[in-house]
Amino acid sequence: MNDPNADVCMTLPARAELQDHLLSAIHDLDRLHGLLADACAALTAGFLGATHELQGLRAARPAPGEELGRAALHLAAAAHALQFQDLSAQLIAHTSQRLRHCAGRLAQAAFADDDGEAVVETAPPRPNPVTQQQFDTGTVELF
Amino acid sequence: MHSILAVDDSASMRQMVSFTLRTAGYDVTEAVDGEDALDKVRAHDFDLVLTDQNMPRLDGIGLTRALRDTPKFKATPILILTTESSDQMKQAGRAAGATGWLVKPFDPARLIEVIGIVMRRPAPPALRPGTEDRR
Repeated sequence: MNDPNADVCMTLPARAELQDHLLSAIHDLDRLHGLLADACAALTAGFLGATHELQGLRAARPAPGEELGRAALHLAAAAHALQFQDLSAQLIAHTSQRLRHCAGRLAQAAFADDDGEAVVETAPPRPNPVTQQQFDTGTVELF
Repeated sequence: MHSILAVDDSASMRQMVSFTLRTAGYDVTEAVDGEDALDKVRAHDFDLVLTDQNMPRLDGIGLTRALRDTPKFKATPILILTTESSDQMKQAGRAAGATGWLVKPFDPARLIEVIGIVMRRPAPPALRPGTEDRR
């Protein structure tokens, strides 16, 4: 394992440029997080509205037809898919923390030349808590 | 009507969980993290707690421990619904007193099925109220 306190062997301008890239990536991830949250909020509002309408239609009909049953199945599938925002947000947060740690390490190394100090954010734990590769339904284990 | 406390710091997840449970006929109360959940259980009784693991202030395992230390929640089913799938975390959840470990994303029909199963089955003797000193 690499020594977390080991110096980064780069020139100061190279460190500054790399740190700038990392900070830009962190900023972009923050924007992505916001975009996903906004999109998910709109999708969820549409989902809940459609569900409410469907429930109204089912209640109004003495014998709901097959088309309402199919619509309910589509909404159930949407309830599964709409969970993407939670998993994505956790992945983004984890990655952002790792990038902030790397940027902090670079800053620390640069300041060390001037006997200065930089606050380095703790690296996130390994592995990433979100391990899903695909959007399959998760496992269930009862104790 | 059975009441369920749904705990998650993600608003979208809370909405999806609440929608799924209410559609199945459950009375649902939402909490935004473990500390908020502890505030809610002081005022209300719940038949089941469904909680996320990674949350600010107090996580799902910490909440489970705190609830198991509360006499009225000794036997209440507690399900942890999380992105975490490592065996180490599952064992930590089990040791804290969780009833089950569900990995996200959940399938609505499967979630309702699992909740029905854990609500019907008897609690382990060690978790029944008043039995903790008889082992």
